[in-house]
Amino acid sequence: MINFNRVSAMVYRYTMNLRHNFDRLTDMFYWPALDLFTWGLTGLYFAKLSPQSSNATVIILTGVIFWIVIWRAQYEITTNLLSEMWDRNLVNIFMSPLTVPEWILSVMIFGFTKMIISVLFSAFLAFFFYGYHIFAYGYYIIPLVLSLLITGWVAGFFVAGFIIRYGTKIQTTAWVGVSLIAPFSALYYPVSALPKWAQDIAIFVPSSYIFENMRQVLLAGTISYNGLIISFALNFVYLFLSIIFFVWMFKKSLNLGLGRLI
Amino acid sequence: MYKNVLEVKNLTKKFGNFTAVDNTSFEIREGEILGLLGPNGAGKTTTIQMLLGIMHQSNGEINYFGTSFKKHRSAILKRINFSSAYIDLPKLLTIDEVLKVFAYLYEIPDKEKRINKLLKEFEIEHLRKKAIHTLSAGERARLLLTKAFINYPEIILLDEPTSSLDPEIAVKIRGFLKKEKKEYGVSILLTSHNMQEVEEMCDRIIVLHHGKIIAENSPHNLTKTLSNSRIELIVENKLELENFLKNNNIKFQRDNSIFTIDIKEKHISKLLAQMAAEKIEYQDISINKPDLEDYFLDVIERGNK
Repeated sequence: MINFNRVSAMVYRYTMNLRHNFDRLTDMFYWPALDLFTWGLTGLYFAKLSPQSSNATVIILTGVIFWIVIWRAQYEITTNLLSEMWDRNLVNIFMSPLTVPEWILSVMIFGFTKMIISVLFSAFLAFFFYGYHIFAYGYYIIPLVLSLLITGWVAGFFVAGFIIRYGTKIQTTAWVGVSLIAPFSALYYPVSALPKWAQDIAIFVPSSYIFENMRQVLLAGTISYNGLIISFALNFVYLFLSIIFFVWMFKKSLNLGLGRLI
Repeated sequence: MYKNVLEVKNLTKKFGNFTAVDNTSFEIREGEILGLLGPNGAGKTTTIQMLLGIMHQSNGEINYFGTSFKKHRSAILKRINFSSAYIDLPKLLTIDEVLKVFAYLYEIPDKEKRINKLLKEFEIEHLRKKAIHTLSAGERARLLLTKAFINYPEIILLDEPTSSLDPEIAVKIRGFLKKEKKEYGVSILLTSHNMQEVEEMCDRIIVLHHGKIIAENSPHNLTKTLSNSRIELIVENKLELENFLKNNNIKFQRDNSIFTIDIKEKHISKLLAQMAAEKIEYQDISINKPDLEDYFLDVIERGNK
């Protein structure tokens, strides 16, 4: 059974870490802002080049802002796990009454909160500099963001599973792990623009349905409920599998002892 | 009658073909300080990791307070704690923040009161707003002990708790541990390379070597098993003493005018009497009884044979 005192203890621990950590504050605001400027300006340039590309800015900004949801969700799970290893605190927390499901819940809650802040910050910048209105999606934004959030958690738990097993020697995966699915998510282009083999993979990538849907909502004002349902169905299956994978890798790591990871 | 608060039965840990801990069984009684000694690679850290639930055992049973650790992990972990010179705490957080995290993790009812009491006890109250990474090694060691005592532990596992402390603070820490044991019946499993500390603190010692328990007794009884005392003699007439020792088949080591003789305690008076009869005078003499360090070196040497 989940003990919420322990969950809030971990949320507090990561919040305080964020408060004192310039790096973590930077990746919350600096990188989203930089991406937004770089890609937003690129979109504007394409729109100027060709009148047929008048929607380029909107499409690119959509991709940039909503990729933050996936990236943020994955990143929080993996970097918070890594921070325990960097701080040599892993033993302290897992020899306390904290259970693995409680830790999982705490990083999900913390990651969700940070994701909301990052997305709102990016949305504000997009509106201020490009007049791009994130709330143009209306209530559709809720299931769209939720689905992307779950995709990020899926990636997060898979990567965290490898990190808890192999330690900091594979820590780069915390930053690059999720980018594996980016080409197949069709962030800035329709799935149909992908080569056939990549389209076949995209069928199994939940975020591809969401980015397709976002463009459809923006450009045609309609949403594909089928796409949304497939995305959620895939996400729930993957989330279940990713958590099972993480717990399995955690148990494998216990066979070798967590002491080696501090 | 003493109650066992921890019972370890046939604990074994294998990594492939290598056996790190080999079928060890021991127990800790309520209010007892048990020393866990052994050279590097003996299996101490592996044993501690299994006792903390951060490593799965290959075989055997761990029972705390009469209940299975495997079945009641969270409930048991609420009642025990750990401190080691080899772990740390979140570097960027302040002392106050870190202790608050652990007070919540262990669900301490009177968090502020408990934190204040321990900070005062370990003399780091004035540092509570400082970030962990700014603390000295000694301050950090005291903070780790503060964290380890935050949940009123009934059993505490301490891995080299005073290794980075200056002697004055180390004495205070030992005093605190003894007080916790006496007043609250806290049981302690202590590992240390400081044999004086082990001798002073521990009621009982187990010595691990190659994953096996090779000795178990009180420090006093263990050292008593070494019958040889060490005599150091400084003489003016070195040749005379050397010939005397050789003629009597007494083994010795010589460093210029200092003779070192390992001899059974009961034979010391006889040796000195013989020397007096031969008119061999000494300028200085020191007789050292074997201590725990001698015992430890001896038992490890025997274990290696």
